[in-house]
Amino acid sequence: MSLFEIKNVSKSFGDLKVLNDITVSVDKGEVVAIIGPSGSGKSTLLRCATMLETMDSGELTYHGEKAASNDADGKSVYAPASALRKIKSYYGLVFQQFNLFPHYDVLKNLCDAPIHVQKRNKTEVTKEAMSLIKKMGLEGKEHYYPQQLSGGQQQRVAIARALCMNPDILFFDEPTSALDPELTGEILKVIRQLAQEHMTMVIVTHEMAFARDVADRVIFMDGGYIVEEGRPEDVISNPTEERTKRFLARFAENG
Amino acid sequence: MSLISVIQQIASGFGATLLIFFCTLLFSMPLGVLVALGRMSKFKPLSLLIQGIISVLRGTPLMLQLIVVFYGPYYAFGIKLSTNWRLYATLIGFSINYAAYFAEIFRAGIQSIPVGQTEAATVLGYTKVQTFLKIIFPQMIKRTIPPVTNEVITLVKDTSLSFVLAYQEMFTYAKQVSAAMSSLMPLFVAGVFYYIFNLVVTIVMDRIEKALSYYN
Amino acid sequence: MMKKLAAMLLTGVMAVSLAACGGSTAASTSSNDSAAEEEVQEEPAEEADAAEAEADAATAEANDDTTFVVGFDAEYPPYGYLDEATGDYTGFDLELAQELCNRRGWTLVKQPINWDNKDAEIDSGTIDCIWNGMTYTGREADYTWSDPYVNNSIVMAVLADSDIQTLADLAGKVVITQTESSAQTALESEELADLTATFADLQKNPSYNTCFTDMQAGAVDAIAVDIGVAQYQMRNNPDKFRILEEPIAAEQYAIAFKLGNETLRDQVQETYDEMLADGTVMKIAENYADDNLPDMLITEK
Repeated sequence: MSLFEIKNVSKSFGDLKVLNDITVSVDKGEVVAIIGPSGSGKSTLLRCATMLETMDSGELTYHGEKAASNDADGKSVYAPASALRKIKSYYGLVFQQFNLFPHYDVLKNLCDAPIHVQKRNKTEVTKEAMSLIKKMGLEGKEHYYPQQLSGGQQQRVAIARALCMNPDILFFDEPTSALDPELTGEILKVIRQLAQEHMTMVIVTHEMAFARDVADRVIFMDGGYIVEEGRPEDVISNPTEERTKRFLARFAENG
Repeated sequence: MSLISVIQQIASGFGATLLIFFCTLLFSMPLGVLVALGRMSKFKPLSLLIQGIISVLRGTPLMLQLIVVFYGPYYAFGIKLSTNWRLYATLIGFSINYAAYFAEIFRAGIQSIPVGQTEAATVLGYTKVQTFLKIIFPQMIKRTIPPVTNEVITLVKDTSLSFVLAYQEMFTYAKQVSAAMSSLMPLFVAGVFYYIFNLVVTIVMDRIEKALSYYN
Repeated sequence: MMKKLAAMLLTGVMAVSLAACGGSTAASTSSNDSAAEEEVQEEPAEEADAAEAEADAATAEANDDTTFVVGFDAEYPPYGYLDEATGDYTGFDLELAQELCNRRGWTLVKQPINWDNKDAEIDSGTIDCIWNGMTYTGREADYTWSDPYVNNSIVMAVLADSDIQTLADLAGKVVITQTESSAQTALESEELADLTATFADLQKNPSYNTCFTDMQAGAVDAIAVDIGVAQYQMRNNPDKFRILEEPIAAEQYAIAFKLGNETLRDQVQETYDEMLADGTVMKIAENYADDNLPDMLITEK
């Protein structure tokens, strides 16, 4: 049984169909990279997976527990709030814009949700948060406020905040896109380290070299469809589909 | 009649002015938050209703609203008005009027907070209430302090409007002393009182703003 | 941190506002202290009024309860005004009302009102009567009235050094009066239409006090005003003003009750007549000799 599965999802904004019958499933310990041009639907897919958007139709499952399933008309029906609350604890999301809480210091950004949402023991959570801060190379910054940190540091706090919830799977929505090029390295390093620890991750990214390096599987999306999917050495190094080739070629030029 | 006794007489109305001022803030601010939330409700009829009420409260004179609140119960329902109603009607009139203004300020404050804050909170599992109270509300307060300060300063001066209900606050006393003395001097003394009061208000609001400036 | 701060803020606001509420009660009580030994002011009555409110509701007509709420414009000396020395409301009418209440065993409540709202105040029952140099002439049908007790005349006040000597000199001049005053009514009546037509402008201001300041500042040339008010102003500003000899109208003051409230009117009238008969009214009027009240008092039916 896969840890996460999103099945036959379709989603439109008005007349614009952004997701067309997409199915993705992720096993425990797997690292999946989603690539594709802007507007291809990859971010929307991630937002559907994390329930920031509701699917028009399709099913969403974590650990075999249904967050949403299709009714007789093929429309997505979401589980009751109590079930969703439990399912939400299975995953975390790291945003492109970090979205740290500016009025909380680093430590509180990490600890508040575990203590007040998961109702875990404060001392235990604080201890765990401190070790995550250390792991992210942010020792001594625990009482800094987000705006006192660089973009790279803020994103590391955001990753630590997601990890502090002890998720089974972590989603990344273009985690380095808002950063200056010289700061992307520190984030990629952190993600790479998590991959080595067999953290289950789905990463939407424009960093092709990184995707090839760290992912077990790459999904190429375009126009709301999954165009190509497979091992990174196949999809990125030897794409079979014309659209993938075009995208990667353009990327090589720009990059 | 000496300046000192003029000051004493005017000061005797200062308590009533303070009462209107603090009670109005105490009631109108929480009410303003609720009204702002209702105004932003996805339930259209509620949102439209509140929009209409705000429009009337902001679009008609506060003086008229005070008269409506005070005499309304008698003219609409034939209820005899008690003496205390003079104060209560003043407080109700001021509170709902200021709630309308605060609601729009708070709404602007809430809407200026990036949607990412709510999304981050949602993904972390905060309930809607938690998200509002812990994440949105504190940031909203910080962002709205300058316009709120404007309103609070206006309120200090608006308390004098309660003269229409003959509620005996500072300016009413000032006018009475003025009439008794056949001189405008007491009105200027009252002006000094208002100015000093607002100076204190400005300092307090400034302190609050500074206290909240530990983050951006 | 934030939570603590928020808690502190909230506590602070509440503490301050509680202190303010408490403090204001204290303030108004202490402001009474100076005057408390003499007369009952409006604030204590506010506090003790839960019972009164019920009583009010029960008695639409007669004054069964023992409070007698007199509505008055506290900017209308010498009939009702703030005595700066004591901080109490006083005046010819309020002294009469006090004596009347003493005789009937009622508690007098002096309720300052906004003169513009006097009809709403009396209709809604927040006051029992208006006793405040209220002009009876021309308003006969609007209220239930006591017998007239003061002869008033409406005069023209001008600056002492003004070149206006007679009503005819007012032609082309700017005249002001109090909004909704009997002077305004008189000037807008048919009888005075010819005179009013000669003015350059007839302005209105809610306060006679402001009218007099306007004239001193040169903004207006003359004020149409009740003689008592004019005399009070002249006393407070010696040598500043002058009254034209020829009054523009004569009228009478009476006590106004809600239309139909004859029971209360009769009670008040009965005691007033006693006070008049035994000379008490004249005695009180003599306290206001400077304002000419003894001469203006109506002593016979």
